[in-house]
Amino acid sequence: MEVTRMSSTAGQTYLDQFPAEAKVIKAAFWSSFMALAIGGLLGLVQALHRTDVLRFIDSADYYTVLTAHGVLLAITFTIFFLVGIFTWAVTTSLDRGVVDIRFTWAWYIMMVVGTILVGVSILGGVVDAIPTNADVLFTFYAPLQAHPAFYVGLVLFVVGSWLAGADWFRTWWAWRKENPDERIPLPTFMALTTTLFWYLCTLGVALSILVFLLPWSLGIVDSVNPLLTRTLFWYFGHAVVYFWLMPAYMMWYIMLPKLSGGKLFSDPLARVVFVLFLLLSTPVGIHHQYLDPGIAEGYKFIAMTNTMFLLLPSLLTAFTVVASMEHGARQRGGTGYLGWLKALPWRDPVFTGMALAGLMFAAAGFSGMINAGMNINYLVHNTWWVVGHFHLTVGTAVALTFMAAAYWFIPQVTGKELWSRRLALGQVLVWFVGMTFMSNAMHRSGLFGMPRRTAEPQYQGFDFEPAVGTVGEINAQVALGAVLLTVALAMFLLNMVMTSFNDDSDSLPANTYAGTLSGPEDSPAVLDNLKLWTAIAVVLVIVGYTLPLASIVDSGGLFGPDIGGFQLAIETDPALVLESVREVMP
Amino acid sequence: MNIHTYEKAWLVAAMVLIVGFIATITYGAVGPGIAMIDDDAGSIDPNEISDHERFGETGVEHLGGNEYEVNVVAQAWAYSPSEIEVPAGSEVTFYVTSRDVTHSFTVVGTNVNTMVVPGQISEMTVQFDEPGEYGILCNEYCGEGHHTMEGLLTVVPEDEFDLTELSTDAPREVEVGNETTINATVSNGMQDGLETTATLEIGEQQYERDVTIDGEGSAELTFDVDTDALGEGEHDWTFTVDDHEESGTLSVVSETDGGDTNE
Amino acid sequence: MASATEQRETDQVHEIGHEEYDPIGTAILIGIYFLILVLLWLFMYFVEFLGNGPTVVGALLTVVGLA
Ligand code: HEM
Ligand SMILES: [Cu+2]
Ligand SMILES: [Cu+2]
Repeated sequence: MEVTRMSSTAGQTYLDQFPAEAKVIKAAFWSSFMALAIGGLLGLVQALHRTDVLRFIDSADYYTVLTAHGVLLAITFTIFFLVGIFTWAVTTSLDRGVVDIRFTWAWYIMMVVGTILVGVSILGGVVDAIPTNADVLFTFYAPLQAHPAFYVGLVLFVVGSWLAGADWFRTWWAWRKENPDERIPLPTFMALTTTLFWYLCTLGVALSILVFLLPWSLGIVDSVNPLLTRTLFWYFGHAVVYFWLMPAYMMWYIMLPKLSGGKLFSDPLARVVFVLFLLLSTPVGIHHQYLDPGIAEGYKFIAMTNTMFLLLPSLLTAFTVVASMEHGARQRGGTGYLGWLKALPWRDPVFTGMALAGLMFAAAGFSGMINAGMNINYLVHNTWWVVGHFHLTVGTAVALTFMAAAYWFIPQVTGKELWSRRLALGQVLVWFVGMTFMSNAMHRSGLFGMPRRTAEPQYQGFDFEPAVGTVGEINAQVALGAVLLTVALAMFLLNMVMTSFNDDSDSLPANTYAGTLSGPEDSPAVLDNLKLWTAIAVVLVIVGYTLPLASIVDSGGLFGPDIGGFQLAIETDPALVLESVREVMP
Repeated sequence: MNIHTYEKAWLVAAMVLIVGFIATITYGAVGPGIAMIDDDAGSIDPNEISDHERFGETGVEHLGGNEYEVNVVAQAWAYSPSEIEVPAGSEVTFYVTSRDVTHSFTVVGTNVNTMVVPGQISEMTVQFDEPGEYGILCNEYCGEGHHTMEGLLTVVPEDEFDLTELSTDAPREVEVGNETTINATVSNGMQDGLETTATLEIGEQQYERDVTIDGEGSAELTFDVDTDALGEGEHDWTFTVDDHEESGTLSVVSETDGGDTNE
Repeated sequence: MASATEQRETDQVHEIGHEEYDPIGTAILIGIYFLILVLLWLFMYFVEFLGNGPTVVGALLTVVGLA
């Protein structure tokens, strides 16, 4: 079936169709790129510092840098891009603008204000003039305590994203009134199901911050239960990884087939996949706590089983997406069992970027399976293996897909031709190579116990003993990979900046996405019953979390046994390190 | 719904994979008997660690047979104790808790690894078959000095292991001709009795005693030192039981220089 | 200038519908992926993990050891 949009909008860019929305999307993209630029640079600082290639900051400040890297990249970069893409997806596929553009700007601005609050409170860790401290990393585990502004900023950001979700729902409801009998167009379906599990999972972190951490940082309550806030964080923390991933999946489902010259292999399966994510993203968070005391083994096993089944939608995606690419390649004249691979448009940076991102995600899938395996977690938990893993997932599958998508979207929302397609093609390749080095070396170091989140992983009393290779060789690969990644980042930003200086172009492609080989008419209508799926998702969460949470509250108390906040800093005299343990807010 | 045959096959294969993974993990739990950290050890008020029956005194304890317990308190940025010694062929249960923020207790190069969350006690039972030396590190960020947090775990050959502790009480200075004594306490932390020889060497003199100490017991030894034979001057002494040593110096001074001091 | 999307439309040499399309290449690739996953999983679990002892064991051990 052909997507109806295609005919009605032939030749028109997104900017032509929705000039007002295009402005918000452009703003969201640029917010995202800025976070990427700063965060990426900090990543280079970290990689060089840890490997002792170049240390120009204090090791004590390393953790401020790492907090900024984690927050800016995992939260700001990803989510700003997401809200941009989803706004595009909803308006494009429903072929109507948002209900009220002022509301759209409002949530965008709210997210910006939240980001600034968070950013400034982190910056306070290194700038004396700012009286804040938020060296708590992006997981902000209590009783490490940040300045209240940090928590307030996070809340604003998340509430902003909730309003964005409301905006998409409103737009969809408005469309529904005009089209009571139509199936939800696939891109909108994807945005809505993703939004639903986002609501579900962010409830945990909102509860954690609003009920516990914020009042505690303000001194209103004087104790927290660290295991409880930690569990609430991970209740959110696994689903958030799928939240980042869903826009990338959307791109692979609705853009890659088109870019390959074909159609999406199966619309019904795409819907099934997103429904599965809605159902299973949240009741699995305990898999981040396999090595936590205070949680019974049985709950950990249940979380593992759910997690393993969560592999299913991703494995299905691999098939559907590759089959769609193969379809394109064969329509373009590709033949043979694997010869069709040559017929894919490898010179197109948008295609190649997304395809390489998908390839890396396949590798990440493997290390993720290891992470999911309950008892094998003893081997890899909190080692650099995990950091290697998520630089493949969020750091490449997501980030590289977003950058590749930007080569298509920025022209769409600005009406300007991309400055250099060759630079763009080079950029996605350099990123891929850089990440291959960095992430592979990180995985390997995890296996001999190299810890993550550590400024100087060089110890006094012992040495690491890699089974294969040496620590030095592995560090060199990390440093080399990090440099290549930073170069790729610079290439990307240069292209984006130069594009925005380009003249307006009228030869841009139309704003379309892929048609489908097997369309929604092939899929049961019940798939579109969002209320039903939401209800089941809620039930699964209740089943998965009631008992563990109850037992945590029962054993440690809702507010814990008088556990105050800590900001553990080294005093100026390094000889006094141990005496300097001070409790800032008793 | 219209699903291609290949895709159906992949669906089946994917399910096989998933079930296979779960089966492997289950095998690990029942075959080699790998247990997860859980809630068995209960919770604790971090403000009361020092008075806690388990963590009031940290370190290695013998339970009997080849079973040991190691109680560890983690705090920014050290473990107490920072060096742990256990015998090969033992079954050791670690109990770890935190005085301040979240840490980890991770034995490098092994699968011994746990989060240490304040308010909770992590319990892990581990079998150490072979002698060896392992680093211990904290792999959870715990403040600016996180990277300095480390320890050492030594698994010593079984016959080199004991839980013997010495303490001595000796004068610093004594007048020549006066009688003096060096007192020593030998305590045995093992549940089994200890039979060994204690030796005190001072100057050219050497005193030996056979000691027999019950499990969890201690013995007081008193050595009368002949200051005349030693003569005036500084005399180094060493008190030895098996591999343990305590030493000090005794000054024997002329009568006019002063009286007994016992500091 | 020649942009990604436009090129592709013209590149198409023939149209293949759902009925006539067998993604055989995909099946091969995904089969290879499956094999890699299985082999690496076995390697990671039985060599890297179980070979990395000592490991945390539970009371279960003695029970199973006797059985
Ligand atoms: C220039 C590219 C990048 C480089 C060189 C880089 C480097 C690093 C390094 C070395 C670490 C480990 C720090 C440690 O364990 O001590 C790290 C952590 C991390 N990176 Fe990146 N990274 C890059 C890009 C990204 C991207 C694109 C993302 C996500 C979109 C990302 C997300 C993260 C996260 C979430 C952490 C963990 C932070 C934490 O442990 O609290 N990074 N990065
Ligand atoms: Cu997760
Ligand atoms: Cu630490």
